[in-house]
Amino acid sequence: MASQSHAAVRAAADGLSEKDDISLVDVLTLAEASIRSMKSFIDSLDSKVYDEFREIAQYIQKTKSEIGHLQANDLRSKHIPEAGHELGAVVSSTEEATTKIMECAEAILEADTSDADAYQQLVNDKVMIIFEACSFQDLTGQRIAKVVETLEHIEARVTRFAAAIGAEDIQGDASEKEKKRNKRKKDLILNGPAKKGEGVSQDDIDALLNG
Amino acid sequence: MAVDLSMPVLVVDDYKTMIRIIRNLLKQLGFSDVDDAADGTEALGKMREKRYGLVISDWNMEPMTGYELLKEVRSDEGLARTPFIMVTAESKTENVIAAKKAGVNNYIVKPFNAATLKSKIDAVFGE
Repeated sequence: MASQSHAAVRAAADGLSEKDDISLVDVLTLAEASIRSMKSFIDSLDSKVYDEFREIAQYIQKTKSEIGHLQANDLRSKHIPEAGHELGAVVSSTEEATTKIMECAEAILEADTSDADAYQQLVNDKVMIIFEACSFQDLTGQRIAKVVETLEHIEARVTRFAAAIGAEDIQGDASEKEKKRNKRKKDLILNGPAKKGEGVSQDDIDALLNG
Repeated sequence: MAVDLSMPVLVVDDYKTMIRIIRNLLKQLGFSDVDDAADGTEALGKMREKRYGLVISDWNMEPMTGYELLKEVRSDEGLARTPFIMVTAESKTENVIAAKKAGVNNYIVKPFNAATLKSKIDAVFGE
């Protein structure tokens, strides 16, 4: 369609160049051919821009829908605080149990052994308290399972969102706070406890120190 | 050189439970004068008030870490010769090398037992 219009303009222009006497009709013919040619170009341009805008609108709609599926407000107001409370409770209960166990051990170590019966009774009582204190393990196991469930919930939503918008990772820190924390970790070599199988053993450390 | 069980020992850790564990282990080993501090800053303050025969410190504490405390101690003329044992969960090679360069006398990785603590104290004092 566009090439036909261009050909018409060219033919009209060639016709004029061959004539010595150019009439108003010739000029109007050329102008009409030119306008027709431009119209098809503008029409094709309109359609292309329209398609692009439609694609952008669809992408925005899809992204909006995916943001909704992310349930960011629910994560921020419910799941993440709940996981934090569970972990706080784990720290408290393990500390409480450890303190109880240590108190019992200290009492046994410091007990008067001159009266064998009384000493036996004290040891039995303290050992029973130690057994009771060890029940924290069951509760902490359940609390940690809830935290793992929350992490899986977040992972599923973030994964879906990242895939839907074709997210690519940008290196760097998300905030000044994170930047400072990461710099401190790097400068002061704060790696934290090693995972099982990672890190060096006490024997390796001794060899490094003495080597 | 025999370990002097009457020498003051400073235990530095931000976890009260760990301080209690180390205190009890030291008590079982025969040490009677044991103080504690919750981080490097508090430890440094105590070290400038009282002469300690041994410092047993965690690495990961805030605001001042055990690593920073070690470097401060080694750069302070009055404290530089204080024996220093790091007791920490930081068990990467780079941590051990950094502590060695900073002048640590021994390095114990958590979790540890009484026998390890005793052997490292003995090694520091050449037993």
